[in-house]
Amino acid sequence: MAARSGKALVSLGRLNGCGLGLHTSLSRATYATALTTTTTGNKVFPERGNRGGFARKPRRPPGDPRTEKMAVDQDWSAVYPAAAAFRPGSVPLPVRMGYPVNRGVPPEKRGNLELIKIPNFLHLTPAAIKKHCKALKPFCTEWPTALDSNAKCDEFFPIKVKTTDYVSASNSIRNPAARIVNLQVKLSSLNLDDHAQKKILKLVGDRYCKDTDTLTLTTDSCPLRKQNYDYAMYLLTVVYHESWKTEAWEADITRADMDEYIWEDSPSQKNILDTLVRMKAAAEGEEEAMEEEVLGRPEVQEYKDSVSRLKNEGENESSLLQYREAVKKVLQL
Amino acid sequence: MRRATSCDAAAAAAFFLITPGGVNFRHNRNRRYANRRRRKKMYLNWVKLWNLKTQVTNVRPLHVNGYQQQQQEALAVELESSHETLPIFRTQESDPARHLEKHIGQYYTLPPEHIRTLFPHGLPRRFQTQVKTFNEGCVMVRQPALEVISSLKKVDYSKPAPRFVLYGVKGSGKTMALCHTAHFCSTQGWLVLHIPDAHKWVKNCKELLQSSYNASRFDQPLQASTWLRNFRTTNEHFLSKIKTSQRYIWTKRESTEEGKPLRELVDQGISRVKSSSDVVGAVMKELRLRSGHPEAGFRLAVVVDGVNALWGRSTIKKEDRSFVNPEELTLVYNLRKMMRNDWCGGAIVTTLAQTGSLYSPKTAYLPQELLGKEGFDNMDPFIPVSVSNYSEKEFESCYLYYQDRHWLQHPQSKTEDGKKELIFLSERNPSILERLCASL
Repeated sequence: MAARSGKALVSLGRLNGCGLGLHTSLSRATYATALTTTTTGNKVFPERGNRGGFARKPRRPPGDPRTEKMAVDQDWSAVYPAAAAFRPGSVPLPVRMGYPVNRGVPPEKRGNLELIKIPNFLHLTPAAIKKHCKALKPFCTEWPTALDSNAKCDEFFPIKVKTTDYVSASNSIRNPAARIVNLQVKLSSLNLDDHAQKKILKLVGDRYCKDTDTLTLTTDSCPLRKQNYDYAMYLLTVVYHESWKTEAWEADITRADMDEYIWEDSPSQKNILDTLVRMKAAAEGEEEAMEEEVLGRPEVQEYKDSVSRLKNEGENESSLLQYREAVKKVLQL
Repeated sequence: MRRATSCDAAAAAAFFLITPGGVNFRHNRNRRYANRRRRKKMYLNWVKLWNLKTQVTNVRPLHVNGYQQQQQEALAVELESSHETLPIFRTQESDPARHLEKHIGQYYTLPPEHIRTLFPHGLPRRFQTQVKTFNEGCVMVRQPALEVISSLKKVDYSKPAPRFVLYGVKGSGKTMALCHTAHFCSTQGWLVLHIPDAHKWVKNCKELLQSSYNASRFDQPLQASTWLRNFRTTNEHFLSKIKTSQRYIWTKRESTEEGKPLRELVDQGISRVKSSSDVVGAVMKELRLRSGHPEAGFRLAVVVDGVNALWGRSTIKKEDRSFVNPEELTLVYNLRKMMRNDWCGGAIVTTLAQTGSLYSPKTAYLPQELLGKEGFDNMDPFIPVSVSNYSEKEFESCYLYYQDRHWLQHPQSKTEDGKKELIFLSERNPSILERLCASL
């Protein structure tokens, strides 16, 4: 429209003001309304009221839209080779879009601004994508034949990095969510001893899922994806190496913080030793029983197992029953 | 409760003047409703007793209620001639030592003089009202109590005292099992040190004194003196036999010499309320020392209900509004010493109670949940005894007993469907069943 108005102005400059003529030529160039213009034929003679009018070339009537001539089995990727706006004349579908005014029907596709505004994926039909893949294939390498099952992939590539790309139609192709990097690794594939296993769980906290034995690190603090990926790999390395180190202050752990109940040196052990010593003293006089000997007895071992089970596993009927039997045996009831 | 926040002083004064009866109308209304409920309950109870026409098997009047006595005396004559056989849910055996497996589910009667002496404070409150209503104290023989009793029979008393902990869901009969065991111990001639509810010692203390013996501890004179009084009632005959082993000095002028009978110590504690907590400690110490001797002639049974209170939290506040640690209370401190198994010649039978406990969830009933880490480490090694809800046989027995006592008045309750409904509603939990039947 800008070009045409420019032409009209040029003509104005030459011919000195055919204001009305200018107006009518402009009106011919505007968008169609509900009523179509009827000036298709006989443009040989200029219209009435056009004063200067012979300088313009007579316009050819616009022909049939291309959709009439399209074959059913045409190559669609030639019609829409790249992303483009919706062209009613190029899309052979009777699409309607818009609000039905006055209880009518949605407006047709010709001159429909709504259809032009929205993004379309007419350039990404399956056939087009097949062509893209075919074009990209010479640049790809083959999938290694040795990796033919999921298990093998997990074995050789235990670290799985997930990133997401976002596609949207707007005036910017950037999406800040595309920088997030998700790194997952199974702890069983890492070389960890007992102490390292417990320590890494403590360091990592919530990021470890016990059911699937997976450690998940999600990084999004850096602005670029590459930076986030590097940071995630760095975190994994650091956490792994730190878990292998034993600090001096780790030896200061108190009983309350320990993960498991340890029977040695616990009040329970002291109690049972006292009781057994007193029982022995009452029974046999003043014989001093050695601690190791007392502890080595099978009843005491059973008692120790039952108390550890009670404390570690929690209480349920079976563990309480076991504890009761063990105590009865130890106290000789 | 809405408080008068921004009242004008004059308006408030005027309001008080206008309403002499009470400041808060809501308080009066609630009191009225409570009175109505109480009167209705009393009326219904009276109706039940009025309907108590036949089959009152145990005619031992405990009440001084003249009307009831006349009624029962009239019935007793016709009864004793007709009733020869005992119903299935009762047993003649009133000596707990002779209760066996075959008596499980049957009710045995507590002799009334035993109830008066042995259980001045030990029975659950609802059971006490039931004893008053039915004119007899009938306890069901159940597996947990039998287990403890049979263990007590087999124990070697030269060894350290064994500890039993009865645990179970709320209302499953732990306190009743404990009372059954205490009855057994007393019929066997033991000295029973019965603490009815250890929770009462760590809450609602009206008077807290600083201990004269140890400045960091606190005395509870009222609780200690009530307990000593009940202790004296329970163990009259022992108090003159046991002699003190050392001299106790209470104040500059008062002291108890060595070799005096324990009765003097207990009387000292009851009369001089200020030193009663220390007397309790002294009594416990003496009993611990004495029961160990082979020539002591008695065995000591320490029976504690709600032992988890000793290692829990208290709601007693000090003057600076901070909560008192239970071990800072003399009574609790001494009882904890008693719970240790460093003495011999007796046994310790305890229950865990969630009912009166502080800061514990309602669904908690397992030993470690209620005792906590400290409690478990202190009580370890103990024998946990599980008390569960009624079995089918026991439920039948209870149902028949209530029917026999004409406690179930509702016509529906006598049918099979009614019984099934009771089973469903109460899940055979003894206390819930008792509460349900009370309104039928």
